[in-house]
Amino acid sequence: MFPKLDPLLHSELRLAVMSILAEVESAEFSYLKKQTDSTAGNLSVQIDKLSAAGYITVEKGFKGKMPCTTCKITPEGIEAFKNYVTALKEYIS
Amino acid sequence: MEKTNENKEMTAQESLSLINEVLNKSRKSILRNNGKHFILWGVLLTVLSLGIYELWHITGNPIWNLLWFAMPIIGIPLVKLISRKDDAIPQNVISKQISKVWLAYCVFVTSIFVISIFTGLIELSLVIVLLLGFAECISGIMLKNWPIIISGFILGVGGAFAAALMPTAAEQLLLFTIGGVILVVTGLIIKIQYR
Repeated sequence: MFPKLDPLLHSELRLAVMSILAEVESAEFSYLKKQTDSTAGNLSVQIDKLSAAGYITVEKGFKGKMPCTTCKITPEGIEAFKNYVTALKEYIS
Repeated sequence: MEKTNENKEMTAQESLSLINEVLNKSRKSILRNNGKHFILWGVLLTVLSLGIYELWHITGNPIWNLLWFAMPIIGIPLVKLISRKDDAIPQNVISKQISKVWLAYCVFVTSIFVISIFTGLIELSLVIVLLLGFAECISGIMLKNWPIIISGFILGVGGAFAAALMPTAAEQLLLFTIGGVILVVTGLIIKIQYR
């Protein structure tokens, strides 16, 4: 029997965000937007969902006078991402 | 990458491909950014070494070597300036480790430089060019790039050998000019590799 895929990660944009955050210590909203080629509104909604699940933390601050949102993956997020990739590999093999 | 769509149904293969694609794109962007720093420090090293060589050559006074301290004074604000324009590109494990290797290089060189000023016991150019080549070689290993590994080895070992053969310390400065040019070329290779 195949393991169940985490529905929170089985979404294109959320998966893209988690993939980026799994590789870096933290990333700013503008970087995530550019890398995922998404709209600010959509990205913001998906980030909130990941944050609500405890997969990422979101820190809002300022860079000079400009508002700056920084996202960071949590240990729970890393674990969920690993399990998701393991499950995907089982599906394929 | 195509416009990401939250509700798009993905197969397992598509999900893995997406992870791979996003990771590669992000990695390229981060490492390409590293290339800029190699170019900046390379240009600075080339200009300063040529300048100090000329001043030392004309005046015959080695005091001009104190101008080396201008390198961080000019370089660090320039790094901050170009980083501000980077659209907040984060660091990954590789870029962070490369930064640490070069930070260690700076600490070694500054310590050796200061010890040499007070004792005069160390063959300064030989040691610094060897360390420069070594740091370059380690960067190449991390980036899995053979031209950078080989150029680091040639710069380190060849440079140390050349330093031992060169008759005056002033002439040995030209090795750093070559080192600076190699750093610039390394930066360009990184930018092309991760285009």
